[in-house]
Parts: sequence; C-alpha cells; structure tokens
Amino acid sequence: MPSLFKYHFRSVFVRWRSSIATIIGLALVIAVFVMVQSLAVGIEKTSANTGDPRNLLVTRQGALAEATSVITREQFNIIRYLPGVELDATGTPLASGDTLIIINLPRRDGTGNSNVMLRGIAPTGKELRSQATLVEGRWFAPGQREAVASRRLANRFANLHVGGKFKTGGVELTVVGIFDGQRSAFDSEIWLDADEARGAFDRPDYSSMLLRIRSNEALAEIRRTIEADRRLKVKAVREVDYYKEQTRTAGPIKWLGNGLAIVMSVGALFAAMNTLYASVGARTREIGTLRVLGFRRRSILLGFLLEGALLAALGGTLGCAAAYVGWNGASAGTLGQETFTEIVFDFQITPVLIAKGIAFAVIVGLIGSFLPALRAARLPVIASLKAN
Amino acid sequence: MTIPGFVIKNAFRNKRRAALCVLSVAASLALLVTLLVILDFFINPPEDTGSSLRIAVRNKVSLAASLPVRQRTIIAKIPGVEALTCLSYFGGNYKAEKSTYFAQFGMEPDQLEAVFGEAKMPRDQLEAWIANRTSCIVGADTAKRYNLKLGDKFPLVGVIYPVDLDLTIAGIYKGTTDDRNVFFHQKYLDELLGDPGTVGMWWIKASSAEVVPGVIDRINAAFANTSAEVLAETERAFQMDFIAMMANVKSLIAYICSVVVFALALVSASTMSMAIRERIRELSVLKALGFRRHELFAFILAESFSLAAIGFIIGVGGICAAFASVDFSALSGGFLPSSLLATPRIIGIAALVAVGLGIVSSLAPAFSIARLSVVEGLKTLD
Repeated sequence: MPSLFKYHFRSVFVRWRSSIATIIGLALVIAVFVMVQSLAVGIEKTSANTGDPRNLLVTRQGALAEATSVITREQFNIIRYLPGVELDATGTPLASGDTLIIINLPRRDGTGNSNVMLRGIAPTGKELRSQATLVEGRWFAPGQREAVASRRLANRFANLHVGGKFKTGGVELTVVGIFDGQRSAFDSEIWLDADEARGAFDRPDYSSMLLRIRSNEALAEIRRTIEADRRLKVKAVREVDYYKEQTRTAGPIKWLGNGLAIVMSVGALFAAMNTLYASVGARTREIGTLRVLGFRRRSILLGFLLEGALLAALGGTLGCAAAYVGWNGASAGTLGQETFTEIVFDFQITPVLIAKGIAFAVIVGLIGSFLPALRAARLPVIASLKAN
Repeated sequence: MTIPGFVIKNAFRNKRRAALCVLSVAASLALLVTLLVILDFFINPPEDTGSSLRIAVRNKVSLAASLPVRQRTIIAKIPGVEALTCLSYFGGNYKAEKSTYFAQFGMEPDQLEAVFGEAKMPRDQLEAWIANRTSCIVGADTAKRYNLKLGDKFPLVGVIYPVDLDLTIAGIYKGTTDDRNVFFHQKYLDELLGDPGTVGMWWIKASSAEVVPGVIDRINAAFANTSAEVLAETERAFQMDFIAMMANVKSLIAYICSVVVFALALVSASTMSMAIRERIRELSVLKALGFRRHELFAFILAESFSLAAIGFIIGVGGICAAFASVDFSALSGGFLPSSLLATPRIIGIAALVAVGLGIVSSLAPAFSIARLSVVEGLKTLD
C-alpha cells in the first residue's frame, strides 16, 4: 500500500503538464472563496474586537443600532447615578451620553460620497473607550468646533487630516487629531464633543449612553434595575455583546462567497475529471501491471481518489497562499447594514478559513476523481496490458 | 468525408472529454453572466420612463437626517415642480424577520400616480389605498415572495423609528424597476410618532426634462443657510450616490469577474491541448498526406471553436432560462430583485469571451503541431 501511494504521489509530478492546469484552476477557485470569506471574517472580527467588558451600553428599547436610539437627558441622569457605576478621581460617574450623527462626506479619491459616523462623546467618553489611542495631533477641546478622526477614515475621506476642515449641518469642524481604533468599530468614526454635536445638529437628546460598572455582580444588578424600571424603557447590554451582534453586513458577502465558490467549483470539477480521465487513459497499461502485481480493485480505486485529493490539496494550498499574500490585512470598506455608514475593516485570512479552503478543495478533488477512479478500478486486466 | 464533418467527428470522438470540456465552459460562462448581471444591477440600476423627470431632495447632512414638513409649501411653489410627495424610509422588519430587504416608504398616496406613474394597479385598489389611512400597497415581487393577497395584514416592526406599523394591503402594483417596495401613508406614521413635523425626503416630478436643472438649483438655493439645508439631485444621481457607498465591495465583484474569465481560459485551454496531444500521430499522418500547417491549424481552431460555441449556448442559454424561471429573490433571501435580466451587452461580452477562449485554447497545440516533424510525430507512441 505505501508503494501504491508513492506511485500516485509521483504520478502527479511526472504528468505535471496536465496536473498544473487543474492545480491552478482549483487554486483560483479557492483563492476567490477565501478572499470573499475573509471580508466577512474581517467584519466579524472587527465587531468582536470592539468594546470593554466592563462597559454597559444603554439604548432605546427596540433600536437595533445606536444611531437610531434616543436617550433623553432625564434618562441619562437617572441611570448615571445608579449605585454600581464606577466613579472617576473627582467622584463623578464614568458615564458618557453619546450623540450619533450620520454625515455625508466626499471620498479622498474623488469617487463620490459616503456616509460617515460622527460620534459626540462626553469628556469621559475617551476614558471609557481606551482602545482608541491618539496617534497624531491632540484630542478635541469642547466648544471649539473641533473633532478627531480615525486614521483609517482619514485615509479614505477628504479633509480628515490634522488641520483639515469639513462643513456639515451648518457648522464647520476642524480636525485636530487622528486616533487609531486598533481594528475596532471605532476605526469607522469621527469623534467630537457630545453637547456641541447636540447643539450643531439640533438634537435635544442623546442617542445612547456608555457606563463603566464597578464589578461583574454590579453589572448584572444594574442591568436588572434598568430593565425593570418602567419609566426608562431602555435596553442595557454589555458593550462587547452589542458590537458582537453588528455583523449583518457580513451576511450577503458570505452568501456571495459561497455561491461563487459552488458555481466555480462545478467548472473546476469538470476540468479535474477531464485531467484524471486522461491520466487513467494514458496509464491503462500501468494499471494493468499493478493489478497483475496483486493490487486489488479497491486499492486502485483508493489510489486514484488519493491522487485526486492530492492534486486538489495542492491547488487549495496554492489558492490560500495566493489569497494570503495578496490580501491578508488589506483594508476595505463598505456600507454597514446596521450603521448606514461606511465601515472600515481588514481582509482577515485566519487559519480556520485556510483549513476551510483546503477542505473545500479536497472535497472537489474527491468528487472529481471518483468516476475516473472507478473506471481505472474496473479496467479488465488482460485487455489493459495489451493497450498501447 | 467533408472537412466540417471531419472537424465535428474529431471534436466529439472522445465523447466524455468533449462533454466535460463543454460543461466546464458552460458553467464558467453561466457564472460570468450571473456576476455581470448582479454587477450591472448595482452599478447601472435600471431606469424607467419617469426617471429623467424625477428629483430627489435629501438633507445635506446625510440621508439619515430628516427634513421639516414646512419645506413642502416652499418647494410646491417653485416653477417647474409638477408634483411632489414626501418619502420617508421606514426600514422596518416584516413580522418576525431579522433582516428585511424590501424597502418601505411613507408617502402621500394621492401623489403616487403623478410622481411614480410607472406603478400600475387597478383603479379601485388605488382608491381603496388613498381612502384607508392604515393601508399600504405592496410591490408584486414582495406579494409573490410572501404569498400575500389584498386585505392581508402586513405588520412592520420599527427599527429606525420607535413604532410598529399595523398595515393592511389595499393594493398590489407592478411596473416599476423594483417591484419589491412597499408604500404606506406618511400620515399614519406621523400619527404614531405624535406629529414630529419631519419627513425623510422630498421626491419631485418636474414638468419637463429641460426645467430639471433649474428646479434643482432653485430648491438648493431656497434652503441654503437654513437649519435644514437640502441637497436636490436627479433620481439617477441619487441612485449613483447610493452605489458609491458600496465602496470596495463593488470593485471586488468586478475583480472576481476577471478571475473567473482567467480560470476558464486556463481550464479549457489545457483540456483542448490534452485532446490534441493525444492525436499527434494522426496529425503527423495528415501532414505526411500533404496538409499544410495552416490547414492543420484551421482544423484545431475549428474544433476548439465548436466546443466553446456549444459551451456558450448551453451556459448562457441555461442561465437565461434560469433567470426567467428561478426566483433569485427567494434564493438570496430577498437580497436580489426577482427580475434579473441578461442584457444584450452582457450576452455579447460572454460571446466575446467564448470566442477568445476558442482562439487561446488552440494556440498551444497549434504551436506544437507547427514545430513537429512528420517522422518524429509518427514515431510517437502515446
């Protein structure tokens, strides 16, 4: 049996000319599959990488996104002074009432406009979101019509560099700093002072609020208190859980990736079958010899299945490698389904995705080699020895 | 035997290979056409007759910001504005669905005919809708997808707005470029929200194509430096703005199309060369009989052309039949519209690819034939 395996292993390389087309064909299929899926993975990872487990996010009941939520100042004040909310050095609760506004900005490369999330935060808001670190300039000063933008947005939209100005809702904001959200959802936001944003966009209320809670027990307790209070009609979830759910955008992308992979693999399947049929045809005499040497029909079948799987695994590996070299870590953006603003994320080719890609290739290889292998196993011994 | 007969006999001598080759070409061309159709749907949304006369007005901040109702009377007075309705995107979920892909709008029902004349439905249905404040009209595609009839309840759960709509279907329309949309009374929404005095957008029908630019300028100027500055643009420009927001996903699909074409060329070329390599001895015999290189090349070219052509007919014909019979809207969970259509341009592109394929896949074998000496070829065993 090991010798048979060696025979098939070598066959793949001896007949490299016909092998290579099948391998590259499959590699392209797998590269497309991995690339498209890595976009979906990127969106999911960015969502999962956002927030602090000690934080609680409060939104209106029924609102699926912060931007469509409303928290009145009255609600804000009730919740902020609940026992269990962490206090800062001066004794004020660590809570930020946020105002989210969707604004339309021109792209840097001049290919049109898109929506961007403008987040108004309280002075404590930065402390609550320690993931965002300043990399250039300084933080905004309240009341000065100043804003800070994420580095990734600054790369994609016009006038978001330090010193850049953009006009929206009757005010002109100056960018005074650039922050890095470290691959979180904050990478898709511009921040400014919450009360200034409320004034500029004529909003009497906040959109959502973020609280730091002292302990895990206090968090459960405060959630119960908030949700049981019928005056409030709000929903409180851990910040990390909220962001983990923001993956609706990934749905159609996954659907596209799977659909593409299935149709493309059908094409590749026919090609692989062709190669293997030709290979069985050309090796009729060799197969006869193997049979004479005592190899059973099922060994021959297994051998050709293995050859198909090996061919496919090579293609799959090549495809994953190409996708990894070409796209892993590259930045992409699209319209987020929940936020209705541009979300920026990375192509993320994870080990799981690579394993999926190779497994997919091997399955295609096994299916494609089954009929040719069956034909090889059924060759009559004497006749095949006489073949030329 | 005639020469065409010879070519066809050769092409199908190994029936299994010919079939597999044709099927792989067919599968790839079908995929290419599907991708191009989807891309076309996003990049180049279909226009209908009223499209060139319609103007969309949104808040300058973004589409998500609302507009004050008081703007209506000012816009209505602008010369060249023939009809006008508010249009508020509700963005709710149907029943217990987690994500609903058809859009729902609050509007002024008595303006439907004037602004969106393409939406056709029986007169009595339109009148019933106008008369009943909590009723709605549903596009034929949505009605089909959820198996809805007149008089059915149509509940929408608010996601953007903190209210749920409890609608009844008064009419089912068809004839627009996207027969998935649902329209209901803006008044009903206002009532549930406690009359906030805002709407989502204004949608205007101009009296003629010539006045459109002037109307757009006047509307933009009318609200400059007010608390709700607006951006008026043609319906087409509005759609294009929406598409620009898809950003990288759009170019990704275009990119994948080219990969598919390349993979296809590779696979068919290798299959074709395989077929020729097996027949080296025969071709040498033909050479020995006095056939010239260019004649042999013509044989090979004709053979690969006929395979590519059959693949094209099966693949493109099959996918067009699928577009006509399979409900892609249901298949994609409502993400795509149900009426996908392969335009002549797309079919032309697929045909060009098939022709290119025929040429490319005959190149490698043609070269080896040209180089081959007769004696060497006759000696070849395999």
